[in-house]
Amino acid sequence: MPSLTLTLKDQPPVPLEAEVLSPDTLSKLSRDEVAACHVFLGKRRLRLDEFFAVEGEPGPDLELRGDLRQVKWIGRGMTAGQITVRGSVGMHLGAHMRGGAIEVHGDAGDWIGAEMSGGSIRIHGNAGGQVGAAYRGSNSGMRGGVILVDGSAGLEVGMRMRRGTIVIGKPSRDFTGLQMKGGTIVLLAGAEIRTGAWMTRGTIISLAPLRLLPTFAFDCSHNPVFVNLYARRLAEWNVSLPYSVQEGCYDCYSGDASVPGKGELLIWRPRSAGSLG
Amino acid sequence: MGGKVTCTLGEVKNRADFIIYWGGNPAECHPRHFTKYSLMPKGKFVPRGRKDRTMVLVDIRETKSVGAADIFLQVKPGKDFEVLTILRALVKNQPINESMVAETGLTLEQLQDLVDRMKRAKFGVMFFGMGLSMTRGKHMNSAAILTLAAELNAFTKFVAMPMRGHGNVTGADVVMRWTTGYPFGINFSRGYPRYNPGEFSTIDLLVRGDCDAALILGADPGATMPQPCIDHLAKIPTICLDPKVTHTSKLARVHITTAVTGISAPGTGYRMDEVPLPLRPALKSPYPTDEEVIRRIHEAVEKKPDWIARNGQTTPAQIF
Amino acid sequence: MLRIRGGKVYDPANGVDGVVQDIWISDGRIVAAGEAAVEGGGRTIDASGMIVFPGGVDVHTHVAGGAINFARAMTPEDHRRTTAFIRSQTRRAGLGGMAPTTFATGYLYAGMGWTTVNEAAVPILSAKHTHEELRDVPIVDKSCLVLMANNEIVLDLLEQGEVERARQVVAWQIWAAKAYGVKAVNPGGVAAWKWGKDAKEMDEPVPGYNKLTPGMIVSGLAEIVDELGLPHPLHLHCNNLGAPGNITTTLETMRRLEGRRAHLAHLQYHAYGGDDWGTMRSETVAMAEYFNAHPTFTTDAGAVLFGDTVTITADGPWQHLLYKLTGRKWGNLDVENETGCGIVPYTYRPNSLVNAVQWAAGLELLLLIDDPWRVYLTTDHPNGACFWRYPEIIQLLMSADFRRECLAKLSDRAKERIHLPELDREYTLGEIATIVSAGPARALGLSQKGQLGVGADADVVIYEEEADIVRMFGHPRYVIKGGEIVVEEGEIRATPHGREFLVKPDYDASIVDYLQPLFEDYYTMAFENYPVELERVEGADVRQCTKP
Repeated sequence: MPSLTLTLKDQPPVPLEAEVLSPDTLSKLSRDEVAACHVFLGKRRLRLDEFFAVEGEPGPDLELRGDLRQVKWIGRGMTAGQITVRGSVGMHLGAHMRGGAIEVHGDAGDWIGAEMSGGSIRIHGNAGGQVGAAYRGSNSGMRGGVILVDGSAGLEVGMRMRRGTIVIGKPSRDFTGLQMKGGTIVLLAGAEIRTGAWMTRGTIISLAPLRLLPTFAFDCSHNPVFVNLYARRLAEWNVSLPYSVQEGCYDCYSGDASVPGKGELLIWRPRSAGSLG
Repeated sequence: MGGKVTCTLGEVKNRADFIIYWGGNPAECHPRHFTKYSLMPKGKFVPRGRKDRTMVLVDIRETKSVGAADIFLQVKPGKDFEVLTILRALVKNQPINESMVAETGLTLEQLQDLVDRMKRAKFGVMFFGMGLSMTRGKHMNSAAILTLAAELNAFTKFVAMPMRGHGNVTGADVVMRWTTGYPFGINFSRGYPRYNPGEFSTIDLLVRGDCDAALILGADPGATMPQPCIDHLAKIPTICLDPKVTHTSKLARVHITTAVTGISAPGTGYRMDEVPLPLRPALKSPYPTDEEVIRRIHEAVEKKPDWIARNGQTTPAQIF
Repeated sequence: MLRIRGGKVYDPANGVDGVVQDIWISDGRIVAAGEAAVEGGGRTIDASGMIVFPGGVDVHTHVAGGAINFARAMTPEDHRRTTAFIRSQTRRAGLGGMAPTTFATGYLYAGMGWTTVNEAAVPILSAKHTHEELRDVPIVDKSCLVLMANNEIVLDLLEQGEVERARQVVAWQIWAAKAYGVKAVNPGGVAAWKWGKDAKEMDEPVPGYNKLTPGMIVSGLAEIVDELGLPHPLHLHCNNLGAPGNITTTLETMRRLEGRRAHLAHLQYHAYGGDDWGTMRSETVAMAEYFNAHPTFTTDAGAVLFGDTVTITADGPWQHLLYKLTGRKWGNLDVENETGCGIVPYTYRPNSLVNAVQWAAGLELLLLIDDPWRVYLTTDHPNGACFWRYPEIIQLLMSADFRRECLAKLSDRAKERIHLPELDREYTLGEIATIVSAGPARALGLSQKGQLGVGADADVVIYEEEADIVRMFGHPRYVIKGGEIVVEEGEIRATPHGREFLVKPDYDASIVDYLQPLFEDYYTMAFENYPVELERVEGADVRQCTKP
C-alpha cells in the first residue's frame, strides 16, 4: 500500500502554517480525516485538501510533493516516523523535533531543527539561517539529534546549541556556532566570518580554512582521537571526515576568550599544504 | 547571556564622566544630544560640564562629530563586532591573538588604553547608532556593546543605549511590549501575539512578499526601505496614514491625511530612554488624528463576521 | 440587581465566618436585603454549597510600568511557552507567563477572583507610562505607590534636616505621580548604586552623602507619610534584601519605626540568618516573635515557589549580584535622580539550599505570625513566583500534610536550616479570606474593599467547594466586580474598566518655587511635563487623607 502522499496543488499566496504535517498527527487518521485537517493561510483556518491532493494510506511514512517554500512548520515537534519531501520547504522544518527522520530533496528555509532534541533532518539542497538554533531569547538551541545540509546554510547556524550534530556541506554564513554551548558542527567547506563567536563549549570542525576572531587562541596541531570516532559515525550518513595523520592534521584553537569560553575550533590542514609535511 | 544595562538621559547629564559614541554622527544627526544630555551640560556630579567629561568617538569615517571628541577611534568598516569582542576579552584580562587585531584598524595599545579608561571612569556610557546596529552583524553588534556595558559593571558603573531613529519609534516599541509582550515584528494571524524578527519583521515580510495588504502609520518606508519592499508595497493594497504627501503615500492605494501628532493631535511621546513626554497640541487641524482614523477603521472591521470565532480557534495551544 | 443566594459567606471584616447568607447587590455595591427587594428584577446566582469571599486584594505586585515592561522585552522565551490569550469578542489578545501583558494581567487576576491590585513601584519620571499601562489592565481596580527613598531631592532635604520642606516635596510628588502612597526601596542603596555601590548599614552614611543614613531616610519618610495622613502607611522594602544574615538589618529597621505604622514588603526576603550563602538559614521564628509583639506593623509574605520567574526590583545592586550569581540575562534601568530597577530571570530550585530556605521562609512567616490581619498573601510578583500561582500557596497554608509531602523533596541539609517541618498550623477559610482580601484592603486603607458589608464595593468571588484547593482557588465559579459578573464557569464574560485610587495630600503651592529650579538643574525635561495630568488617569478616584 503506498504511503500517504500529499501534493501541493497551488502555491499559497502567503505563507501557509501547517504544523499538522507530521506523522505524529496524520498517521492515526483516515485519509478523509487527513483531508479535513486544519492549516492556516494567514489568519484563515482552512482544510488541508484545499492545498494538497491527498493520496495513499496514512502511516508512519509521509511524503510531501511540490514547491513547499511557502509552507512552514512541517514536522514540528515530531517524535517518530519519516517525512520525505520532494521539493523545497519553508521555515521551521522539524523545529522542536524529538525523533524520527525528515529528508528534503530540495532547499529549506530558516530555523530548521530549531530547539530540536532528537531525530534527524537531511536537506539535499541549501538551508536558510538559524539551523538547529535557539529561538530568540531561549537559553539553548538544539539539544540532540542530527542535521545534515548538503548545500550551504545561512546565518547563526547552531546558535546556542547544547548537544547534537550539524553538518553543512557548502559554506555557511556569519556567526556559525554563535554562543554555542555544546555539540558539534562540521563545516565541510568552511564558513564566512565570526565562526564560533562567543562560544562557551562545543566543537566546530572545518575542512576549509576559517577567518578567526582575535579572541581564539592557537593551541596545537594534532589529530584528536575523537575525530576518528566521529568520522565513523558520520560515515553512516555518507559524510567523510579526514582523520589520518597521513592525510594531514587539525589546527586546534580555543575560545571565545571574550566569554571566556572553552570551545574548540578544529581546522583541517591537508598534509601537502602544511609545514608539518 | 546578554541583557541591557541602561539609564535615563538625566543620569548621563548628572554623572557621566566617560562617554562613547559608537557608529553615529550625533553632531549632525542628533544635534541637541551633546548640549542637552551628554557632553556640555553641567551636571550634579560633573559640575564643570564638558571639562569633567571625556568623549570617545568610534566610527568608520571622520565626521563632524570628531571635532567634539577627545579620542577618535577609526574602525575598519564591518569590524565593530570584532573590536567589541576584543574589548570584552580585554576587560577580563583574557589573551588576544595580536596578529589579528590589525584588521580592525586599531592597535592593541589603543584598545587596551580604551579599556583602562573605561574601568577608571566613575560613570561610563556608550551611545550606539545605526552605524553599529544596521551594519554587518546587526543585532549581534548591538548585543556586543550591550554585553560589554553589562560586564563593565564588575569594575565600575557603565551603561549603554541605542540612539533611536526619528519619530516616536521608542513609543511604538513600549506600547507593543505592554500589549503583546514583544517590541516589534509581531504576528497576530493565529489570534495571539507571536514574535520572530527575520520572519515577521516588516522588511523581511515585504522582501519575501509574505503579506497581501499593508497599513502604514507614522513611517515612510517608500523612502527608507530596500527596493523589493517598495515594489511589494506598490503591488498590494497599501493604506497610508500621513499628514503629508510622502513616497509611501504616492505608491499607496489609499492615503488618509491625518493631523500631525504633537502639533495638532495630543498623545505621549517616548524619548529614546523610554521617558514618557506628554504631547500637547498647539494648533487645530481640519484632519482627523491617526487614533480617530484607526478607531473608525476598527469599528467598521468589527461589524464583519469575526474570523477567529469562525476559525473556531479557542484552544490557546501555542505553536511558537 | 443581583442576588447571591445561599452561599457560605466568609467576610472577616464583618465577623462573618462561614455563615450561609444571601448577598444583595445593586448599582455596584452591596445593599441590604430590603433595599434590593424594593428594586425587584435582576438575576439570582444560586450559590448553595458554594463558598463566598470578598474579591482578592493584592497589596504588593509589579504589573505595570517601565520595569515590568523591560522584563517583558527580556523574556520572549517565556512568552512562547505560556498561556496565550486568543482574542475574542470580549477579550484582547495577550500572553500570560512570568511578565504577563497588561490585558492578560487583568484577565488572570480576575480569573482567580482578585479584584484590586496595588502596583508597588513607580518612579515619578515615568509615572505617565505606568498609568498608561494601568489603563490597559482591565477589570480590576488599581492603585500605585511612588518610589521615594532614593529620590535625591528628598534625600538632600533629609540630609539637611529639612523635614518640613521634605514633607511638602513628598506631598507634591505623590500628587505629581498620581500615586496612592509612598514606597521606599533599599533606602539610600539605589542612590548609592548610581555609583555602583550599595547601602547596607542603617547607621552608616549613604555613599555620596555626609550624614544621611538609611535609618534617617526610613524614619523620616515614615514620619512624613503619617503626617500627611496617607491611607496606606510607608511601604518599605528594607535594605540588604536577600542577603544571608539580613535579619539584623530588618529588625534594626523595624526598631526605628516602633510605634509608627509601616508596611514591610515581602518580609521573606528579609528574614535570613547565616554569614554567607553556604550557611544561610531561615530566621523567621525570631522575626515573627518581634513582629507579633509590635501591632503597628503589617507585612506581606513575598513567598517563593519553585520554578521559573523573572525578578524585578528597584534594588539595582541586588540585581547586579543576582546577575553575577546566575550568569543569565540582566536588565538595569537607572532613573535620573529618583530610583532604578534591575531585572534578572531566575529559577528557584528545590535542590538549591538558598532557594529551599526562601521557599520555607515565606510559608513560615505566614504560619508564625499569629494575626492574619497583619500578614498578607503575596509573592512580590513576579519576584518570588507569578501571582497566578497564589492558589498553590493557599494549598500549602491549608494543608500541613501537603507541606510535609513537599518538604520530603528537600535535602536534609536544607531541613536543618528551616522551621517549616515543626509547624502544624493549618489556615481556615476565614483566615485565607483575611490574608487575601480583608487584611490587605484594610492595610491599604480601602474601606469599601475586602468586605461584603452594606455599602462595600460589590467585588465578590464564589468558589465551588472542593478537595483540590489549587483548583478551587484557581478557578472560581463566579467573579463579580463592581456588581458585574466578569467570570462565569471559568470564562471571562465581561471586561469593564477598573478605577484607579489616588491621594492628594495637602501641600503648600509655593513648594513649586523651591522644586522647579532644582528640577531644571538636575532633570532633562520641562518641569511642566513632569507631573501626570489627572485627565490621563482613567477612572481616577481621589481618596481622602486623614489628618491625625
